[in-house]
Amino acid sequence: MIDTLGVYIHIPFCRKKCFYCDFPSYAGLETIFADYAAALCREIDRRSGLFSACRVDTVFFGGGTPTLLPVKTLASILETLQRRFPVLSDAEISIEGNPGTIDRETLRALRSAGFNRISIGVQSFSDRVLQAVGRIHTGRQAVQAVLAAQAAGFNNISIDLMYGLPGQTLQDVSSSLQQAVDLPVSHVSVYGLKVEEETPLEAALAAGRVTLPEEDDELAMYELATQFLPDHGYLRYEISNYAQSGKECRHNLKYWRYQPYIGFGAAACSFFGDERLTNTTDVREYIAKVNADKSPVAMKERIEKDTAIAEYVFLALRTAEGIRFAEFVRRFHVDFPSYYTEEIETLLQQQLIYATPDGIGLTLLGMRFGNRVFAAFLPKKDK
Amino acid sequence: MDTAHIRNFSIIAHIDHGKSTLADRLIEYTGALSAREMENQVLDQMELERERGITIKAQAVRLEYKAQNGEEYMLNLIDTPGHVDFTYEVSRSLAACEGALLVVDATQGIEAQTLANVYLALEHDLEIIVVINKIDLPSADPEKVKHEIEEVIGLDASDAILVSAKTGLGIPDVLEAIVRKIPPPRTNPAEPLRALIFDSHFDPYKGVIAYVRIMDGSIRPGMKVKTMASDKVFEVTDVGVFRPALRNVDELGPGQVGFLAASVKNVKDTRVGDTITDATRPAAQPLTGYRKITPMVFCGLYTVDSVDYEALRDALEKLQLNDASLVFEPETSVALGFGFRCGFLGLLHMDVIKERLEREYDLSLITTAPNVIYKVYKTDGEVLRIDNPAHLPSPQEIEHVEEPYVKATVIVPNEFVGAVMELSQEKRGEYKDMKYLDTTRVMLTYHLPLSEIIYDYFDRLKSSTRGYASLDYELTDYQESSLVKLDILLNGEPVDALSVIVHRDRAQYRGRLLVEKLRGIIPRQMFEIPVQAAIGNKVVARETVRAMRKDVLAKCYGGDITRKRKLLEKQKEGKKRMKQVGSVEIPQEAFMAVLKID
Repeated sequence: MIDTLGVYIHIPFCRKKCFYCDFPSYAGLETIFADYAAALCREIDRRSGLFSACRVDTVFFGGGTPTLLPVKTLASILETLQRRFPVLSDAEISIEGNPGTIDRETLRALRSAGFNRISIGVQSFSDRVLQAVGRIHTGRQAVQAVLAAQAAGFNNISIDLMYGLPGQTLQDVSSSLQQAVDLPVSHVSVYGLKVEEETPLEAALAAGRVTLPEEDDELAMYELATQFLPDHGYLRYEISNYAQSGKECRHNLKYWRYQPYIGFGAAACSFFGDERLTNTTDVREYIAKVNADKSPVAMKERIEKDTAIAEYVFLALRTAEGIRFAEFVRRFHVDFPSYYTEEIETLLQQQLIYATPDGIGLTLLGMRFGNRVFAAFLPKKDK
Repeated sequence: MDTAHIRNFSIIAHIDHGKSTLADRLIEYTGALSAREMENQVLDQMELERERGITIKAQAVRLEYKAQNGEEYMLNLIDTPGHVDFTYEVSRSLAACEGALLVVDATQGIEAQTLANVYLALEHDLEIIVVINKIDLPSADPEKVKHEIEEVIGLDASDAILVSAKTGLGIPDVLEAIVRKIPPPRTNPAEPLRALIFDSHFDPYKGVIAYVRIMDGSIRPGMKVKTMASDKVFEVTDVGVFRPALRNVDELGPGQVGFLAASVKNVKDTRVGDTITDATRPAAQPLTGYRKITPMVFCGLYTVDSVDYEALRDALEKLQLNDASLVFEPETSVALGFGFRCGFLGLLHMDVIKERLEREYDLSLITTAPNVIYKVYKTDGEVLRIDNPAHLPSPQEIEHVEEPYVKATVIVPNEFVGAVMELSQEKRGEYKDMKYLDTTRVMLTYHLPLSEIIYDYFDRLKSSTRGYASLDYELTDYQESSLVKLDILLNGEPVDALSVIVHRDRAQYRGRLLVEKLRGIIPRQMFEIPVQAAIGNKVVARETVRAMRKDVLAKCYGGDITRKRKLLEKQKEGKKRMKQVGSVEIPQEAFMAVLKID
C-alpha cells in the first residue's frame, strides 16, 4: 500500500551541547564520524529491500548538527540512499545546519550534492541571548549563513527561532523576527523554550544562575510571532511553523499527516504500517550492531487502532488544515463527528476548536492550549 | 466442655500499648497456630490494619490451655480495637466476656483510652487483670505505672503481671491469671438457648457469619433459631470456633464463643447486639444488648467519575455487611452530582472506610469535609437535624442552632498543660477539671464542641505536646452556639460541597485561610478564577487563581510521537482526578482542604 515514503537520517553529533538540549546528540565524538557514516550506509543498504516498491519524495538530514560531518561524507550518504531507494527527482532534500559550521563553500558543495532545502538553527540574532544558552555562533554568523545559503543556490531556506530564553526580552524577539523576514528566508520555525529534565539549563535555573522571562512576557513573545510572521507573508501552517506559500516543509508534514517514513541512524524513528521502530540512541552500540548485521532497533511499538486514531488526531490538529472528516473515514473507517460527538461539543464550547462541515481545526486559543485538545481525543480507555 | 473450664476475655489497651503483640504471644504459646503459621498481628487480617498497626475490627480466637493445676481450659480471646473511634467495638466485645486484660505500657503509663476502656469494662462488671507491658525497655517504670493505676483507676495493682509481649516474658503468668482470676461463665442449664451476636461478617458462600457468645443452652447445625429483635427464623448450617481461622464444630455449648452461619443474606437480619434463641423453644427475655452505635461524623462521598455511582453504592453496601456502624444515604450536590452522605464513628473510621473503598473497590472518590449533626430550631417551631452544611436553612428561618459537645479527657506531661489549656480555649472549650496522675502527668477535662475535635483539635494537640498527649472523648450534650454557614465561590458560583458551618467569631479567619489554601490547590486554567469566601451575600475573603498562559507542546516530530503521546496521557490521567464544577476543574483534595488548613 505504501507508495511514497519520507526518509530521515539522523546525525547525532554536535560541536557542543546547547544548555537546553535533551536531544540524542553528542559532542566530542569526532573520532567516530567515519565509522558512523559507514554504518549509516550499511543500514540503508540492509533495509532497502523492504521498501523497494516505494518512491522517496522527501529526505531530511537532521541532528545534532549534520553539517558537522564533512560535505563529502554527507554527499556519499545521500548518494547511497539514492542508489538504494528510488528518490524522486523533485524530492525535497533537507539538511539542518548550525551557522557556526557552514560557510559559502560547504553550502555550495551541499547544494551540488543534491540538497535543495536548508534549515539553519539561528534561535536568536542577539549575541547576549545566544551566549546565555551556549550556542556556538553569533547573530552575525547567522545572517552570513543565510546569505551564503542563498548565494550557494538554496531557494528554500528555513531558520529556527526560539523565545522564552534566559535573559531574552520581547524586544529581542521582535528584532529577531524582523531580521528573519528581512533575510531571504522562506520558512521560519518558532519554538518556545521548554526546560527539559537533566539539562544544564535545568540545573542553572534550580541554582538561580539564570532566570527565564516572566510568563506574561513569554506569552507576549509567542503572540508577537503568531501575528508578525503571517503579517509578513509567512503562514502559520503548524503550531510552531510558518512558511511562504509553497515552502511548507513537505517532510515534516508527513509526520503531522501520519504518513510513512523510515529513519536511519542512531535514535532514528521509522513509521509504516502499524509499527513504529526506534533505533538505539547509543551511537557506539548503533555502529556495533549494524556492523554485526544485527538490528539497531531498540524499541518496537505496535500501534493499535485506537492509539493510531489518537495520534492521528493530535498530529493532524497541529496543522492549519486540521482534520478532514473524509480523509479520516478513508484511513480508519470511522465517522469522526459521531465517534467524538461529546469531545467536539465540549471543545467547541470552550472555543478551542472550530468546525466546518468537512472538518475541525484549532482556533488561535486552541493552538495556545493545544494539549487540552489533544488530550481530549486520547483513547477512551476503561480500566 | 463444662463451663467451669471456659474463660472468655478481652484485651483492652490504649493504642500502641502492645495489645495485638500480646494476643500474638498468647496464640503462639498455647499453640493455636504453629510458629510457621505465626505472623505479626495475626488477628489484624485487614491489609490496612497491618499497615497502620491498628486494630479496626474485633476478632476472636479460641485457645486451648493446660494450666499448672493439670486441667485443660478453653480460653476465648476477643481482640478489641484501641482507637477512640472504635469504642463501640470494644463495648460489644466486652459484653461477651467475663474478664479483661488491661494492658498498660510500662514506659508510658495510663493514657486516655486506657481509662475509657477500663470504665467500659467496669460497666460490664468484668474482672480486670492488670498487665504491664514492655518491661524489657530501659525506660520501663512498672512501679510508677502501678501507682498510677491504683491512684487514678482505683484498681489493686499489687499483683499486676509484668510482661514483655515482644520477648514473651511473663506470658505463662498471664495465662495462669486468666484461669485463676476470671470467673467461668455463669449459665443456667435449664434455660433455652440465648446467644449474643457480638460481631458479624459476610461470606459470599455462607451468607452472614454471626460471631456469638452462648449465654445459655447450646447450638448445633440443623437447629431452627430465631433472632429476638428482628424476629426472623433461620436454619443453622454451620457452627464453629475461631482457631483463629474458622473451624466447624458439632456444637457450641453454654459459655462458649464461636460463630454460626444460617444462609442469612441480609446482615440486618442478624444485627450485632441481637439475641439468638431456639425457634422451637424461645427464651422469654432477650439478653441486654449494649449501647447503640451512633455515628458522630458525617461527610459526603462522591465518585470522581459519575458513572461509578452505582459501584460506590454496591461497595458501601458490601462494607456495611461487615461494619454495621457505617451508615449512608443518597444525597445530591449541585457541584458533585449524585453521592452519599455517610456517617462514621470518627475521623479514623472515615479514613479507613474511604481507603478501603478506594483500595478494595478501585474507586476514585471525593470526600467532602466532615461534619457533626447540628440541631436547627426554626422560627416556625420545626427542629431539623443537619448533617450537611448545604442544607442549613437561611438565617431568617433560624431561631437558634445547637451543636454537639463532648467531654474530652486529655492526659499529658505537666509541662504541656499550658499548651493544652490554650488550645482548648481557642477551640471554645470549657475547663472542667485537672488531676495529677503522678508528679509529672496531668489529666485535663474539657467540655468542647465536637466540631472542633473533628476539625483539627487532635492534630494540634499532638503537635503542641510533641506527640505526648492522649485524647479520649464522649458525646455529652447539645448546646446553643452562634454558628454561620461559610460558602465558597469559585468563578462567582457557590460550590455547595465546599460550604462549612463555623462559629461566627472564627468565620472570617477560616474563610481567609480556606481561600488561600484553595488558591494553592486549584490548578491554573485557561481563565482567571476568583476564589471567594462568603457569609450570606457578604464576601469575607478573596484570592485569585491566575490564568494559565499556554499549554501546548511546541515541537512534535517523528521521533517524539510516542513520548509526546505518553505526556498527553499523563495529563489526561491527571484531569480524570478532577471534578468539573461549572467551568472550573477542581482536584479531589480541594474538598478535603476545608478540613485541614494548616
